[in-house]
Amino acid sequence: MPAASLFTATAETLLNRLIALDEDSAQRLVPLAGKRLSVFIEQLPVGITLVFSTRIDVLAEPHSFEDVCVHQDGESCFIKTSLDVLPSLTQTSQITRLIRADKLQLQGELSIAQQTAALFQQLDIDWEEQLARYTGDVPAHEAFASAQKFRQQFAAFGRRLQAGLGNALTEEKDIAVSKLAVMHFNDEVDALRDDVQRFEARLSLLEKNQ
Amino acid sequence: MSDTQSRDDASQNMDESVTEQTHFGFKQVDKSQKASLVANVFDSVAAKYDVMNDLMSFGVHRLWKRYTIDCAGVRAGHRVLDIAGGTGDLTAKFSRLVGPTGSVTLADINLSMLKVGRDKLRDQGLVSNIDYVQADAEALPFPDNSFDVVTMAFGLRNVTEKQNALNSIYRVLKPGGRLLVLEFSKPASEHLSKIYDMYSFHILPRMGQMVASDAESYRYLAESIRMHPDQETLKGMFEQAGFEQCDYSNLTGGIVALHRGYKF
Repeated sequence: MPAASLFTATAETLLNRLIALDEDSAQRLVPLAGKRLSVFIEQLPVGITLVFSTRIDVLAEPHSFEDVCVHQDGESCFIKTSLDVLPSLTQTSQITRLIRADKLQLQGELSIAQQTAALFQQLDIDWEEQLARYTGDVPAHEAFASAQKFRQQFAAFGRRLQAGLGNALTEEKDIAVSKLAVMHFNDEVDALRDDVQRFEARLSLLEKNQ
Repeated sequence: MSDTQSRDDASQNMDESVTEQTHFGFKQVDKSQKASLVANVFDSVAAKYDVMNDLMSFGVHRLWKRYTIDCAGVRAGHRVLDIAGGTGDLTAKFSRLVGPTGSVTLADINLSMLKVGRDKLRDQGLVSNIDYVQADAEALPFPDNSFDVVTMAFGLRNVTEKQNALNSIYRVLKPGGRLLVLEFSKPASEHLSKIYDMYSFHILPRMGQMVASDAESYRYLAESIRMHPDQETLKGMFEQAGFEQCDYSNLTGGIVALHRGYKF
């Protein structure tokens, strides 16, 4: 059984469930309707194509990147890259550099990829409301309030732990240096560098005058 | 030639056509009866068809169909024919892939299945680019060179004259078009074959009895699978119809195979 079919089936279910949880995403899907985004990741055996309509269909691409690029029709975008480059694609300014460095191949309409990224980045899911559908409003609110309180307490504990540990390492055990000491050391290095540059300049001036 | 002799010849031809036999599962039946016998089976199971498919295959039939869709290469604007489309599993996906500029024709010889499929697709909001046609795969009622892609999932083994169906599909495909036939086939391993036999002849009819109150139809299903041509034979039939670059992929150890062929 092709594992790719299982992967695309799972991805399709997940993506459409997520989109359905945000009512506004239907509106963001409208400009993408009828368009396709094919993504080929070097580390994966097959490419993935997202086909947009009122939902997203996920297809495993049995052909190579070069073969599917033949079907350029203004309604498609084809991307070939590697897993480590994927996070950089959210920064539009990086795209030209990545293409020049042969880390990214891009064919077709770039706006389709950008709109797809926006679709998922702008997802705003009210998880409390989603939980309330199953548990009712009060238990859902209580659960989320408790979770938020726990998160705040955990964050405060983390900050205290960090401060305590830092104090122990820098003041009590004297294993590490404090932030202030590092800044002071850096200032001294800067001053020394300036002195060396001044000395070099004076030396070269004296050599010229001889 | 005298009138008497002509009548005798006609009578003899008629007798030959009546006695011409084909298989219906493991039974031998008159060729002219097979279509109605198959129709009875699907009339009986239509309402529970999707549930039984999920139960019998443990849901794997969805992955087989998904793989077929992946290999179909359907794009916006294509005209797709889904023969023996039954309850519309492939048609639903194709409808979204071809978009408003393309069209999908769901064809099935069985009216009960076609009605179940039509209701299901309409409930999903898929109405604008789907046509429903009650059609015999052996004599497709479409002009030559009409479709970009033709698919037939779990339908070919029920056709009386399979070669006629492949010839008919070849005729309606556009040059450059492709045919995909997803069908039960012959398991590649002997061990798997034995387990599969035990499952399909002993467990399947009982499941059919429990869920669809119809053990006979599911016994026919198991028998018809055994009578269906194996992978290489079906590939040869594709080539005989005129298809080129024919190949097949075994799925789940050959329990199911996806055959592909192109018309150039």
